[in-house]
Amino acid sequence: MIEHNEIQIMTTEYNTFIRITEKVRDIVSNSKIKNGVVYVITAHTTTGIAVNEGLECLESDIHDLLSNLVPEDGNYAHARFLHSYGAMGNNPTGHLKSHLTGNHCVFPIADGTIRLGKAQEIYLCEFDGPQDRTVYITLMGE
Amino acid sequence: MKTPVIDIHAHPWLFEEVCTTEEQEAFVIDMTGLYKSGSFPAEEHFIQMNYNGVDKCVLLPLDLTTTHGVSLGTNEQVRALQDAFPDRFIGFASVDPFRDDACDVLEHAFGTLKLSGLKLHPGKQRFYPSDEALEPIWQICEKYNKPVMFHAGMSVEPYTLSKYSHPMEFEELAYNHPNLRICLAHMAWPWVKEACMLMLKYGNVYADTACLYFDSAREFYDQVLTKDIPITWVDRGLRHQIMFGTNDPRLEAIRMKKALEALPLRPSTKELIMGGNALVFLGLEEYTRD
Repeated sequence: MIEHNEIQIMTTEYNTFIRITEKVRDIVSNSKIKNGVVYVITAHTTTGIAVNEGLECLESDIHDLLSNLVPEDGNYAHARFLHSYGAMGNNPTGHLKSHLTGNHCVFPIADGTIRLGKAQEIYLCEFDGPQDRTVYITLMGE
Repeated sequence: MKTPVIDIHAHPWLFEEVCTTEEQEAFVIDMTGLYKSGSFPAEEHFIQMNYNGVDKCVLLPLDLTTTHGVSLGTNEQVRALQDAFPDRFIGFASVDPFRDDACDVLEHAFGTLKLSGLKLHPGKQRFYPSDEALEPIWQICEKYNKPVMFHAGMSVEPYTLSKYSHPMEFEELAYNHPNLRICLAHMAWPWVKEACMLMLKYGNVYADTACLYFDSAREFYDQVLTKDIPITWVDRGLRHQIMFGTNDPRLEAIRMKKALEALPLRPSTKELIMGGNALVFLGLEEYTRD
């Protein structure tokens, strides 16, 4: 059986990490699927899905790491007018941070519960906000 | 009291309050060329404004009755948006100058709807600002002391011709109507020096910073405002005539504001650009140039 869900999040910062673990946990708990896996997948190319320990200090360190790897004033080919959009492609940092972070994570479901390590937190990583964001939560199992 | 930060150039095109049908949304996307965009509630715009430190924004609709049969937001919709969010929105009117009832529409927009100015797009509405047929429009604006925001310079939108919006096409209007405040949007890019010439010569001519067509916002402003013209022109002779604008939703409001703030300008000049000049342009404050 496959079950598709989605959550909407209106972000409020340009770059931010939003903890979505409880939303995913609730969807798994309310699902008919009791054993299988759950995928958490972003619908966007300037966001990421990450798993790490839910600590403010780590969030700050990861933010600094990505900002150093992908500085705002870098020389980006994407900084040009995009005719297919009718708009500027002035968000290369968002795309590159998204590329580094990845678009999804996956966890086991056992006995109707998501199996997370004690330190594991699921994040929606916003790299081009504020924007209205969609995260797909897809469950596969029985 | 702190001067409010005012985005003098934003569009309500994609607000759900304007895109009330799928047909209207498709029309907006076709007309604006924002091919991968979709509508969203006006309140979402405030989240970006809040993050960006913008207090108010001017909403600019566009009446395309005779050229395309509809409008990119009506005057009534803009009035309703301003009524719903009076602390955040300043509504402008638009009128297709070639519609038979253009003067009636504008009288209604200023007299009844109490909108704060007029938006026109010569390149899309297909008129020259010096066309004598538009004289009644200018007289109504002067009668109500309302400014005119013109698209000026190149337009990246479909169905536009840039020849109508070269800065030199605005000189006769500025000359003949010294009491009519007009803004050449987008710094009239790429004709920035010509726009500066008009601002130097005519105190009723303004420009806004809603331009970003190459590179990053920081690189583009560096080119346009420190290389194409020296930044000292902005900081000295034109400091009372340039206004902060974003052209939202097409351009990059957050990165543009950061790039503007990073320019080597006096703090007092930045305050004028970010809101002080808009208050004068809108007729809410007075400034007499010496």
